[in-house]
Amino acid sequence: MCKRLVQMMQGNIWISLNPLGSAQSMTLVLRFQNRPSYGRATFAPGSSSEQPSSNPQFRGLRVILADDDALNRAVTKKLLEKLGCEVTAVSSGFECLSALSSAENSVRLVVLDIQMPEMDGFEVATRIRKVRSRSWPLIIAVTASAEDNVWERCLQMGMNGMIRKPVLLQGMADELQRVLPRKSFEGRHSAS
Amino acid sequence: MEVGQMQRAWVEYTRSLFREGFLDAQFQQLQLLQDESNPDFVAEVVSLFFEDSERLLADLTFVLEQQNIDFKKVDAHVHQFKGSSSSIGAQRVKNDCIAFRNFCEEQNIEGCLRCLQQVKQDYYLVKSKLEALIRLEQQIVAAGGSIPMEELSS
Repeated sequence: MCKRLVQMMQGNIWISLNPLGSAQSMTLVLRFQNRPSYGRATFAPGSSSEQPSSNPQFRGLRVILADDDALNRAVTKKLLEKLGCEVTAVSSGFECLSALSSAENSVRLVVLDIQMPEMDGFEVATRIRKVRSRSWPLIIAVTASAEDNVWERCLQMGMNGMIRKPVLLQGMADELQRVLPRKSFEGRHSAS
Repeated sequence: MEVGQMQRAWVEYTRSLFREGFLDAQFQQLQLLQDESNPDFVAEVVSLFFEDSERLLADLTFVLEQQNIDFKKVDAHVHQFKGSSSSIGAQRVKNDCIAFRNFCEEQNIEGCLRCLQQVKQDYYLVKSKLEALIRLEQQIVAAGGSIPMEELSS
């Protein structure tokens, strides 16, 4: 974990694990150009996933994604993973809160669908901010609404960012870039 | 059919689906999200869409058959359908849902019933096209080829 953090702060080098679980160093040239990876050679034989993301800042970012719609959840999860994030996907506000409390401080970002039944995104955010600071975890709202005052409401509830549906890769990358401080992993994790 | 021919057929078919407005850029994004770690991503998401849609259409049909139509319910279903069709890039279905919601707001029964027919039609159309597309992709992969995504941007 430490090794990964240090290398991420240096910028260009990071570690990925091969399927056997041993560390394998990989230096990637980063281009945010959508290239079809289906059927093409991977960088290292045996590596179980390819990271086409151009932004090392998101590499290893721990995210909880809450969306009650299975389709949207699958798409947004995949999108975040493509950007390098480690995603825990849940289907309700309740699950989100409990996942967050069991993860303690290791979750950096919560991506929340506003329109969820039972407990909507606003309420989840309010509850999170009752016990956590405004910058950890960061909260990004996902909304279908085109109304102007949604953003204000998000801010009032203690959210840090907002994205409109349908969620696009570039839109998510831009918003992540906007809300995350440059060195987002500094100072919060204890050495391990 | 050999792989090259199948790949060309795939390119032509995909292009036609975009050109004819069945699918939009959102679908293309889904295709680009697919990779070795998750080679069935598109097929999985598409089947989620089919499940959602069948259920929503059944619910909509039921609600619209009632003596006293609960337009709030109709609107809620259509809103959800609009969301999922939009997430998958099923453009015609999404547009049908937009029109549908307008009739809901007006509480226009005739309009809603017509919209229901239209959205069903467009849904079944895009469903068969997506199934054909995915079958073709699976055949290409089974024959050892790869999906030529880059051809779409030319």
